[in-house]
Amino acid sequence: MPKSLYYGPNEIRAKSIITFEDIPVNVYNKSVAEERANFKDDELVRIYRDITILREFESMLTSIKTQSVYNGVETTYPGPAHLSVGQEAACVGQAYLMTPNDYQFGSHRSHSEILAKALSSIEKLSDEELLKIMENFLGGSCLRAVEKMGKCDSVKELAIRFILYGTLSEIFARKTGFHMGMGGSMHAFFLPFGVYPNNAIVGGSAPIAAGAALYKKVNDKDGFVVCNIGDGSLGCGPVWEAFNFACMDQFKTLWTEDNHQGGMPILFNIFNNGYGMGGQTRGETMAYDMLARIGAGITPSQMHAERIDGFNPLAVIDAMKRKLEILKKGEGPVLLDTLTYRFCGHSVSDQNAYREKSEINDWMEVDPIITYRKNLVDAGVAADSKFEEILAETRERMTNICRHAADKEFSPYCDFKADPQVVERIMFSNEKVASFGTDEPRVMAKKEECSRVQQIAGKSRFYLDEKGKPVSKMKTFNYRDAIFEPIIDKYYEDSTLVAYGEDVRDWGGAFAVYRGLPEVIPHSRLFNSPISEAAIVGSAVGYAMCGGRAIVELMYADFIGRAGDEIFNQMSKWQAMSAGILKMPVILRVSVGSKYGAQHSQDWTALCAHIPGLKVCFPATPWEAKGLMQSALNGSDPVVFFESQRIYDIGEQFHEGGVPAESYEIEFGDTNLVRSGKDVTILTVGAALYRAVKAADELKEKYGMEAEIINLHSLVPLNYEKIVASVRKTGRVVLVSDACQRGSFLNDIAANITEMCFDDLDAPCVVVGARNWITPPYEFDEFFFPQPSWIIDAIHSKIVPIPGYVAENEVSEVEWLRRNKAGV
Amino acid sequence: MAKAVIMPKAGITVESCIIGKFMKNVGDTVNVGDVLFTYETDKASFECESTESGEILAFFFEEGDEVPCFTNVVAVGAKGEDYSALAPDGAAEAAAPAAAEEAPAAEEAPKAEAVAETTKTADGSIHISPRAKNLSERAGVDYAYATPTGPNGRIIERDIRKLMEEGVPAAAKAEEAKPAEAAQPAAAAPAPKAENGYEDIKFSGIRKVIAKSMVTSLSTMAQLTNHHSFDATAIQAFRKECKAAGGDVAGITLGDMVLYAVSRTLLNHKDLNANMIGDDTLRRFEHVNLGVAVDTPRGLMVPTIFNADQKSLLEISKEVKSLAEAARSGAISPDLLAGGTFTVSNLGATGVEMFTPVINPPQTGILGVCGITQRVREVNGQMSIYPAMGLSLTYDHRVVDGSPASKFVSELCKNLEKFTLLLAK
Repeated sequence: MPKSLYYGPNEIRAKSIITFEDIPVNVYNKSVAEERANFKDDELVRIYRDITILREFESMLTSIKTQSVYNGVETTYPGPAHLSVGQEAACVGQAYLMTPNDYQFGSHRSHSEILAKALSSIEKLSDEELLKIMENFLGGSCLRAVEKMGKCDSVKELAIRFILYGTLSEIFARKTGFHMGMGGSMHAFFLPFGVYPNNAIVGGSAPIAAGAALYKKVNDKDGFVVCNIGDGSLGCGPVWEAFNFACMDQFKTLWTEDNHQGGMPILFNIFNNGYGMGGQTRGETMAYDMLARIGAGITPSQMHAERIDGFNPLAVIDAMKRKLEILKKGEGPVLLDTLTYRFCGHSVSDQNAYREKSEINDWMEVDPIITYRKNLVDAGVAADSKFEEILAETRERMTNICRHAADKEFSPYCDFKADPQVVERIMFSNEKVASFGTDEPRVMAKKEECSRVQQIAGKSRFYLDEKGKPVSKMKTFNYRDAIFEPIIDKYYEDSTLVAYGEDVRDWGGAFAVYRGLPEVIPHSRLFNSPISEAAIVGSAVGYAMCGGRAIVELMYADFIGRAGDEIFNQMSKWQAMSAGILKMPVILRVSVGSKYGAQHSQDWTALCAHIPGLKVCFPATPWEAKGLMQSALNGSDPVVFFESQRIYDIGEQFHEGGVPAESYEIEFGDTNLVRSGKDVTILTVGAALYRAVKAADELKEKYGMEAEIINLHSLVPLNYEKIVASVRKTGRVVLVSDACQRGSFLNDIAANITEMCFDDLDAPCVVVGARNWITPPYEFDEFFFPQPSWIIDAIHSKIVPIPGYVAENEVSEVEWLRRNKAGV
Repeated sequence: MAKAVIMPKAGITVESCIIGKFMKNVGDTVNVGDVLFTYETDKASFECESTESGEILAFFFEEGDEVPCFTNVVAVGAKGEDYSALAPDGAAEAAAPAAAEEAPAAEEAPKAEAVAETTKTADGSIHISPRAKNLSERAGVDYAYATPTGPNGRIIERDIRKLMEEGVPAAAKAEEAKPAEAAQPAAAAPAPKAENGYEDIKFSGIRKVIAKSMVTSLSTMAQLTNHHSFDATAIQAFRKECKAAGGDVAGITLGDMVLYAVSRTLLNHKDLNANMIGDDTLRRFEHVNLGVAVDTPRGLMVPTIFNADQKSLLEISKEVKSLAEAARSGAISPDLLAGGTFTVSNLGATGVEMFTPVINPPQTGILGVCGITQRVREVNGQMSIYPAMGLSLTYDHRVVDGSPASKFVSELCKNLEKFTLLLAK
C-alpha cells in the first residue's frame, strides 16, 4: 500500500545531487574474425541472406509502386508503401536472438521488422512445429496456396515462402493475406512467430507494447516484448506515457503480495534513421541531441539506454544479448537507440527535398549489404560467389512470390459483391468467454472476506422496502455497487482480469466503485496507473491482444480526448483489421461528471458511438449497470462503459424485484422499457432518465398524458425493434440526454426512427439535449442540462400542443435559426 | 364598396354547408367566376365561384366550418376597404360550437380544449403529419375537414380522431369501410390497435347515414321478398340490335330496359309506386320517380330519374349514366338524391342470383335486378336451355300483400319477355 511508502520531509528536503551513468554510444568494436568465435560461419552467412530477403522485398515494392512491374511481373496496388530500404541489418540483428515467445511490435515502416522476426522464428522452430503453425493458420488456406507455387526442398524454405506470400498478399489486399487484406501494409503481423501488429499511427505501438509486457508479467508468461518505434515518435506524448507506465516504481515497491515485483520485460527499440517523415529529428524537431540520452530522464537505471550501430548486424546482436540479460533479471525496461538510415523516401511520393543526394550517397557507401558482405569475405567466412548465389536465390524466390501474389485468380480479393457481410462479420467477435486464463485467479482472500461484499449483503436491492418506504441511502444497493458486483465476481473467475486507472486502488476509484477490492486483489491485478490516459487505454489494448481481459478507467469521460488515438484507432479497430484473429476484451469505464464545470461534465457518447468497432453503453439504473457490466465482462469485444456521477448513489427504482443478487446479463443492443404509456415515447440516455420520469409524472398528473419511457442503455449495438413498436403506437418521440444537442447520438437515433416510422409519426422526432455551450458552473445546471420542463416544452411546442400548458422555454424558429447561425 | 360572396344553397333541402378548402388567399385579386372555395353537403362537394371582382379582403370562416346557406363567406372589394359591415353575425362563433363541444381527444388530455389554429398555414397549404394522413386514409375521412391543432397549423392525429368521432358527412371514402366493419357498433373503442390483430374504423359521415337509414328501414317496416325470373332472350336480342345500331342507342343496357319496363309496369300497381306517410297513410304517385342505386367510392347513393314513366328508353338510359357519374364524382345536387317513389337496385353484373334488397323509406318497394343464369325448361317434350334473369322484389307488407306484389313482378317479367311489344305501347 502507498501508506507503506513514507514520503517524509527530512529525506525529501535533504540536500544532494542527481548523478548519471555514462551513456554508451556505438561502443561495439569487434571484428568478424573475433565474432567467428561466437557464431558459426553459416549463421553469419544466414544473417546476410536475411538482409537480402528484406532488401529485395522493399526493392520489389519500390519497383511496383514506381514502374508497375517487378522482374517481368506487371502489377500495382493503390495502398501505402512506407519502405525501410537501408534499415534491414538493424532488423535482422534485433530479431536474431528472439524466439517465437518474444513479441515484437512495429510501426508504419515495419516490413523488414516483420520479415526479420519471422525468418528468425523459422530458423528456431522445428519442421514439425512450422508445419503445424502453417497448417493451423486460417485453416491451412495460406499454406495450400504456397504449396502450389512450385517445388520446395525444405519445410524452412516453404515457411519462408509462406511468410513472404502472406505478407505480400496482405499488402496487396488479397483474401489470401494474413488478415484477408483488411490490415494491409501498415497493420501486418503474424502471431505464431511472435510478430505482433505494426501500427499506422506514429508511436502507436508504444502503449500497446507496454500492455503486452504487462500481460507477460501479470500472467507469468515466458519471453519479452520489443517495441519498435521510430525516432520521429519521440515527439508523441503517448510514447513518453508508455515509457513511464512501463517503468513505474510500484513494480519494484508494491507488487509484492504475490511475488510479482520486478521490472517490465520490455525493450523499447527506436530505429533511429534521423528523420520523422521529412523532419530531421536531431537538429530540427527534437531536443535530445542523441536519442539514447532520454532514458536518463525516465528512470534511475537510465533505462539501460545506449546507442548502437544498426548498420552492423553483429553490433545489434551484441547489444540485444546484453539487454536480454537485463530483462531476464527483472531490471527492465530497456531503451535502445539503434542508428540506421533510410535510403528511400518516406513514401514513393517523397522527393527527398529535405536532404542532399550526397548525404544519401555517403550512407549508401556504408550500406551493410556491401560492407557486411565484404567483412565476411575478408574474414574468410565465405567466398564472394556464395553471396552472389544468395542474391540470385532471393531474387528468384521473390519473383515467384510476387507473380502468385499479383495473380488475381491465384490470390483473389474478398468478394464484396458475393459476400456483402465480409467486413460486418469481423467488426465484433461477439464471443462469450467466461475466462481467458487457465490459472487459478490470484487473490489474497476469499471473496466473502471482503468488507464491501459483506456490506452489500445487508443492503436492499430495491429503493423501497417491503412496506413501500424509501430505503436509506446507506442501506440501498446502489449504482456503484451494481458495477462492483460483477467485477469482483469476475476477479475470482478469470485469472487474466486486471483493472487499473487513476486512483483506482486505495481510493477505490474517484467514485469509490472499487472500494474494498484492495483487501482481496493484489497490486498485480488492481493498480493505480499514472495520469496517462493514452498509456492506460493503449496498454489495455496490448494486454487484450495477447489474450487477457482488462478493465481500465479514465475517471471523467472528458479525458477521452487524452486517449483519442488509443480508443478511436486502436481499441476499436484491431479486431477487424486482423480479420478476427485478435480479440479485444477491454472495458473502458468513463464517468460523465457534474458540478465540476466545462472540462468535467461532458457526455461524449456520440464520439464513441461514431467509431466503428466499439460497443458503447450507458446504464442509468443499477439493474442496467450490473447486467451490462456482466455482459461486457463475459464478452470478447471492446466496450466503452459510460457511467454518470449524478447517480452513483441511486438505488433501483424500475426493475421489478430490484437488482438480482445472482449473475445475469443484459444483452448489448437491448433497450429498457421503464414506463409504459400510449401518448408519447420518451427515449432517454444516461441520467436524463430521471428528469424524463419527472416530466412524465407531470404530464400524467396535470395533463392526463401517458408517456412511455424507454431508456437506451446500449447505444452500439442498438436494437430498434422495441423503439419502433413504441413509436408506431404513440406516433410521437422525444429523445433526451445530457449530451450537447449538436451532434448528439440522439440525432442519429431520431433520423433512423424517421426513416423507419415516417408514416407513423404525428410530429418530427425532437431531440432535447444540453445547450451547445461550455458547461457553466453547477449553480446554472438548469440552464444548460435538459430539465423536465424542457421535455414538456418540446412536446407542447413541436409535437402536440397541450391544452392549458404554457411553455417555459419555448424556442421560436427564428431563435433556432439564430443559434445555429451563430454556432451556439 | 366591398361586396360579399355568400354560401350558396346547394339544394332545396340543404340548410348549411361545410367549407372544404379555400382556393385563394386574402389579398388575392379575383374575377367573377374564379373559384373561391369548395364546400360540401352531406353527400356532395361543390365549388363556389366568385360573384364579385376585386381583392379578397377577408374570409369570415375557416376551412371545415359549417356555414348556413346565404351567409357571407368572403368579402371582396378594393384594397383597404372596410368590410366589417359584411361580417356575418356570429361569424366568430360559427366555429366555436365545434371547439366547445370537442370530445376529449381520443388519446390526449381528457379535458382538452381545442387549441385555436388556422387550417391553412402561411403559404395556404395544408400541413398534416404522416400519421394523421395515414389514419385519415385508413378511416376514410378527408383530412381537409380536420381542424389542425398541431404546431404551426399542422393537422395531427388527434384532429383526425376528432373528425372521425364527429363525422363530416360526404367526406367519406368508402373503399375501406366494408360491410362487416360497418356493422360494428359505431360506439366501439376509438383507437386502432394493429398489434391486437384488428383495427377499428370510425364510420364516415355517409356510412353513418346509410347505417341509420338501413336500420330504420328494417326495423320500421314489414319487409319480405319475392323472387322471380324471366326469359331474357328478348332483351338480350334487343340489346344486340341496339349495339349494332351504334350511336347513343348502343349504350342502352339490359339494366336500362328493366328500368324502362318498371317505369311502365308500376303504373298498374300504384301501391308500389307510393310513399308511407306516418303509420296509416299511403301517398300514391301519378308518375314514377325511379330511384337508381349507385355504388360510389363514398358508399351507396340513390339518384332519382324523375318522371321516368314519361321518358323514352334512350332518355332513361342517358339520364342513368349522367346521374351515376355525378354521384360517383360527388358533385351531384342533393335535390337529385331525393324524391324517389320506387327504387331499382341492380347487382346483375356481380353475378347475384337472388337477394333481398332493403327498401329506401318511405317508399314501399324496391326491385333487385339479378344476374342471368342459363336454365333448362321443357318445350314440346324437349329440354331446352334459355337465359333466365332474376328479379327480387322487396315490398312493405303493411301496404302490399303477397298476391298483388307477385302480380306486379309477373307482369314485369312478361313485359320484359316481350320487350319490343312494351316499347310499342
